[in-house]
This record gives sequence, C-alpha cells and structure tokens, in this order.
Amino acid sequence: MTHRQKKMIAAVTVCSLAWGIAPAANAMHIMEGYLPVSYCIAWGVLSLPFLAAGLMKIRKTLDENRRALTLLAMSGAFIFVISSLKIPSVTGSCSHMTGTGLGAILFGPCTVSILGVIVLIFQAILLAHGGLTSLGANTFSMAVAGPFLSYGIYLLGRKCKLSRLMTVFLAAFLGNLFTYCVTSVQLALAFPSQAGGAAASAVKFLGVFAPTQLPLAVVEGLLTAAVVVCLEAYAKPELKSVGYLTEVQAYGKEA
Amino acid sequence: MILIDRLCYFSRLRYVNAGEKTAFSVLTLLACILSRSAMIGLFVLAATGVLTVHKGGIPLARYIKLLAAPGAFLLLGTSAILINVSRTPLDAFALPAGPYYITGSFEGLMQGQRLLLTALASVSCLYFLALSTPMTDILAVLKKLHVPALVLELMLLIYRFIFVMLSLASDITVSQHARLGNFSLASSRKSFVAMVSSVFILSIRRSGEIFDALESRCYDGTLRVLPEDHPAKLSEIVGIAAFELLLYLAVIFLKQSGGAR
Repeated sequence: MTHRQKKMIAAVTVCSLAWGIAPAANAMHIMEGYLPVSYCIAWGVLSLPFLAAGLMKIRKTLDENRRALTLLAMSGAFIFVISSLKIPSVTGSCSHMTGTGLGAILFGPCTVSILGVIVLIFQAILLAHGGLTSLGANTFSMAVAGPFLSYGIYLLGRKCKLSRLMTVFLAAFLGNLFTYCVTSVQLALAFPSQAGGAAASAVKFLGVFAPTQLPLAVVEGLLTAAVVVCLEAYAKPELKSVGYLTEVQAYGKEA
Repeated sequence: MILIDRLCYFSRLRYVNAGEKTAFSVLTLLACILSRSAMIGLFVLAATGVLTVHKGGIPLARYIKLLAAPGAFLLLGTSAILINVSRTPLDAFALPAGPYYITGSFEGLMQGQRLLLTALASVSCLYFLALSTPMTDILAVLKKLHVPALVLELMLLIYRFIFVMLSLASDITVSQHARLGNFSLASSRKSFVAMVSSVFILSIRRSGEIFDALESRCYDGTLRVLPEDHPAKLSEIVGIAAFELLLYLAVIFLKQSGGAR
C-alpha cells in the first residue's frame, strides 16, 4: 500500500459517505420494448460504423498475433464481470460499474465497442439488463459514446500532462456521466414532453436518473483510478500484453 | 451463479428447436413494439407467461420476480414521461409549486400505461427466449443468420470465460470476507479494488494458458462443437405461424381502427 493508494481509498470513503444514500440499481440500460421501432433502428444504424471499425481493428490485431484471441475474450468477460459486480456502498443498496471506462483505457475504444456489444447481448439475455430491441441505443450510449469519450479524455489528459491518477479518474468519471447524458437524450428524443418538447423531456430524464447516476459516476471514477494504480504496481507484464504499458512508458517519457 | 442461465438448462422447452423459439420471441417482440398497445401487451404477456411457466416449467414465483427486475428503470423512466413541470396546468392533475405546476395530461397517462404494458410484454418475450434456450443454442442460431465467425467465436469464448471469472471473483470475495475484508466501508472499498485488480491479472495469465492448451490441440481460430440437432416439429411450426398471424392481424386491425388503445 503506497501513500498515494491510502489517500485514494480515503477519498473513496469520504465520497461515498458524503453521498449518503447510494444508488439503487444500474438503471441506465434502456429496457426491452421501451423505444419505438424507428428509434431502435436509427440508433443501431448510428453505431454500425463504430462496430465495423472495431471488427476491422480486432481482425488486424489477430492477424498480427493470434494469441490475442483468448486475451480479447478474457477482456470481454472481464468487462461483463466488473459490470455485474456490486460496488460496496452504504448498507442495503447496490450499484454497478459500467466498466467501459476501464476497458477503453486498457484496451482502446475500437476494441471495446465490439466487446461492449457482445457484453450488452449477454447482459440482455443472462441478466435482463437492457434488451434486444434497445440493443442499438444501448450500444451507442455504452459501447460507443462512453468509451470514445473516456479515451479522448485520457489522451487529452496525457497531452495536458495531468497526473495519471487524475487523468484516469476524469476519463472514467466523464465517460460514465456522458453515457448517462446520452441515454437521457435518447429517451427524451423518443418521448418529448407535452410541455416543452424534447429539451424539457431531456432535463426530466436527467433529473430522474441523477440521484443514482451522479454518485455512481464519481465512485466509478475513483475505483477505476485505484484499479489502474494497483495494476501498474503489480501487473506490468500483463498490461504490456494488452498494449497498455507501451503507452505508459511513452507517457512517462513525455512527463 | 447466473440465475437465468441456470434456469434455462432446466426448462422443459430446452430441447425444442432453437430457431423456432428465437423466431417466436423475436416476432412477438416486434409485434409488441410495433403496436405499442395495451391490449396486445396484455395478450402477449399472458401467452409468454403460459409458455414459460406452464410449458417450460419455470416456477411462477421466480418468473414474477424476474419480471420485476427491470422495475427500477420502468418506474423512473415512466414517471419522467408522466410528470411535467410547466407554468400552465394540464388536464389530468396539477399540483401547484410556486409559479409552476407539477402536472400531467390524460394523453400522457394513456401513453404511460401503454408504455408500461408494452415494455413488460417485451421483457416477457425476452425471458421466454432466455429461460428456454441456452446461450450455445442461441449462438448456433446466430451462425445460421451469418453473423461474422470472429464475433461468434469471441462470444463463445466470452460466455465460457464469464463463469471462470465469476467464480474467481466470488472465491476472492469469500476469502476477503473470511478475513473481515468488509469490516468497514473503507476496507470493503480496498478489498474491491484488490479483487478487481487480481481478477484482471489472473484472467490475463489464464487466457495465455488457455491459448496454449487450445493450440496444442490444433486450434485454428474456431472451436468446433458437435451441434445438437433438434428438428422442428410440424405441429410446433403450425402453432407458431398461427399465433403470429393472429397477432399481426390484430396489430393491423388496431392500427386501422385509429390509434392503438
């Protein structure tokens, strides 16, 4: 336990206590049958280019190194597992990470888009989180928008020479927050308010989900940062094998 | 471990042709969201309920509990649609709050009720598939639908690895608890971070070992598994076709007769 890690954990604790009542469930998967057909199709089509890019990226990786296949599969399972684990929070409540922020930082956003869509299918069928018709919308918010923003922030943080801890925290925190905003906008577009149209509706959805999602985003950011610190301390060869450590070394030289 | 996965292996409908089950649930699902009507919703809810509980042999209490699982989303999402904040009160109800009204309209209430039933019916379609068809059978159906082989291979491996990693995670959690790792909130956070990190490290190490094991058995990128073939029965096909025909006729009739009710 380094001093920094201790500080980290203290911060996590203070934060979770400050938020008091922690979230009830991961309510941000749009439920099966909730969106009208046209929206289901539209969001699906919007995510297709990203998925195609992801597939090509994975094919390329596999051509270079066939061993990456089991590694990719393990990564997918890892994202599923951390998104289904309960985060410890104040007694009697449970919440889940999205895991996409961590995934995007470790494996890159293109790869995560494909792994994300597979994880979403499994979550729909095995856990009834999300659904088949809302798969397109959920893919866009959780496997495309969130990871790409997380990764963008991560790169930006590196450019701006922020501390790595801060960068990872911001990437995971804002990625989670962005997922929540995109989902709210998706719902608002499908169900515009009678008083004030889609914009008013978006504000309502943001408001309704805020009590569960805001604390969750902070917790996810802090935990992701703590996990990355822990991994850098103990798992150098493993990080190298997923292609993360080369970045870190480059980053070390820059900083 | 994963409740739905465990239940579906015990379903009496497990050995019915997977293509049939998938076609039934996807077509019914589409009918639900195309019509967005309360009546179709209730009808589908009843039909899939009978099929899953009576034919499939899933305990009723379990089924109802599972149906309530997405309740949090349904409650929050639908309340956001029902309740408006505006300066002018709408027709159904209005609570004054300063210069604004917390208000809703009858149209909104109708929409909310339709949405509630449609979403529940759609979830029941999903459950019909999930509670009768193991993931490997669904993958076989996807293969027939020409999903890219790489994606299918990844799905198969991920499905296997999920259980490996879940048991890894639960073992670590159990031993952390045995050492009072969840003594305080601070220590449970610490334990959680340690657990996620070691699951990551162990899983990457294990993925290398698994690839070695596969390669020593001539692995070339596809795991070839003998498919279990359960041919579709004519009576089942006729039954499903009749049901869907009836359902879609009802959907068209409702659309024609002006506005889904």
